[in-house]
Amino acid sequence: MQPEELQARISPKLGENLLGVEPFAGTAGRVRFRPAGALELFETVRDDLGFRHLSMVGAIDWVDHREVFYVVWSDDARQYALLSTDLAADAPHVESASGIWPSANWHEREAWEFVGVTFDHHPDLRHLLMPEGYAFHPLLRSFKLHEPEELEVKSRRV
Amino acid sequence: MWINMGPQHPMTHGLWNLRVKIDGETVIDVDPEMGFLHRGIEKISEDRHYNEVITLMDRCCYVAGLAWEHLYILSAEDALHVKPPQRAEYLRVLCDEFQRIGSHIMWYAAFVQDIGLMSPFLYGMRDRDLILDLFQSYTGARLTYEYLRVGGVRSDLPPGFTARAREVLDWLDARFGEYDQLCLGSDIFRKRCDNLGILKASDCVAHGVTGPMLRSAGMKRDLRKDRPYSVYRQLDFDVAVAEGADVTARYLVRMEEMRQSVRILRQVLDWLDQNPGPVLAENLPRWLGAPYAPIGREGYLLKRNYPKGVGFSSVEEPHGEAQAYVVNEGGEHPYRVKFRSPVFANISAARQYLVGYHVADIPPIMGSVDVCVGEVDR
Repeated sequence: MQPEELQARISPKLGENLLGVEPFAGTAGRVRFRPAGALELFETVRDDLGFRHLSMVGAIDWVDHREVFYVVWSDDARQYALLSTDLAADAPHVESASGIWPSANWHEREAWEFVGVTFDHHPDLRHLLMPEGYAFHPLLRSFKLHEPEELEVKSRRV
Repeated sequence: MWINMGPQHPMTHGLWNLRVKIDGETVIDVDPEMGFLHRGIEKISEDRHYNEVITLMDRCCYVAGLAWEHLYILSAEDALHVKPPQRAEYLRVLCDEFQRIGSHIMWYAAFVQDIGLMSPFLYGMRDRDLILDLFQSYTGARLTYEYLRVGGVRSDLPPGFTARAREVLDWLDARFGEYDQLCLGSDIFRKRCDNLGILKASDCVAHGVTGPMLRSAGMKRDLRKDRPYSVYRQLDFDVAVAEGADVTARYLVRMEEMRQSVRILRQVLDWLDQNPGPVLAENLPRWLGAPYAPIGREGYLLKRNYPKGVGFSSVEEPHGEAQAYVVNEGGEHPYRVKFRSPVFANISAARQYLVGYHVADIPPIMGSVDVCVGEVDR
């Protein structure tokens, strides 16, 4: 499958929510879409294009915006495709893919806890690798490695 | 009632907690708790030089360090537009396949002990040591190798290595039959493994399960064949598949994979004997390629205007399908590194293959998943 074919098959469904398909290292292509068209795109990609396997969901903090990318695999085409969307830096959120691909569940929990992206209608959005109540998003650029987080430790001695 | 199996429990083989909801002896819900081993490898990578990330990869999975190095290197080379020489590619496959056998033997030893058979553990560890000896002879380490480099590998093989490696392969090839006799010939093993933890192919796909678990459900999917990386296209081997999707089927798949790895390794050793050559790409900037160059200010100054790029790679790691996504913004450190751990996805589907079985079935079922907590938590 080539980027042109992806474009031709997705654009009738998605319309202006599809921003373009570009070639991407050894995959069928990188589909860039608006978050408003997320669910439609996921359904099209899984049911019409045969990408039934969601491998990974990741998020990147670009400081002025955040990016969420999805890696999907088709057993028929024996190819990966990437889906990626840009979200506003303040209150970034996108529809959860876990209703379409159950495998998205944990990946989205991880992206939420590390990059602070909220996945709407996620069935179980809570901490995965960090302890409950952890208040930071460590993979944000503003979280500096060399500045230890400030935790107030009160001495038990009076 | 909810009970905790872990973080300190013989079943876990690492540090994680499986919360289990039981009704009598039957499992009615599970909730894996991960993160006890989280070291922030993705975050630390953002503050490391490209070659320094390799050190972290060994810590990602402590039984398959070289496979994870290979994953990262493929992605980093993609992002930095570097091509390694052919001999380095064969050396990487040599690492991968020995690592696959080592990892599967480690799995075998631990898993069979969980079921109640003691001696296979001893045989397994004895045989795995031979592979670690080989690793030590050309990487200098037994667990944390740091052998692969962006643009190739650190050093060539020592004299006499291929002959020694062939002896080890002959030895191992003769052992797999014995492993089978110990397990498949044992009534205890069959009673504790047959028809347990069934996860059908359609559920595997929906929940992102890959590797031996997916192949044990009859699905012929192996990235070495489907999306050949490195030099796998030139090598002759079969994909191990089994029917049944249960614990026994996963055992059969891993055993067959080890035999196929031996087959691959024989071809690789023949090729390495006949084709001497460089093992590191030439004309790499000093900060990136030179194996012994000190990493210091001088090295850092050379690369300010390196071309930007995004690298994506995926390899068939012993546990399944691992992926790496490396964003290079032209600086000396990766801007963002994201890894997909196969075990992460395999555990996330735990509800699908544990609910409905008995509490005593959990150790064999989770054993057959081959959990490596290092790569789940990263």
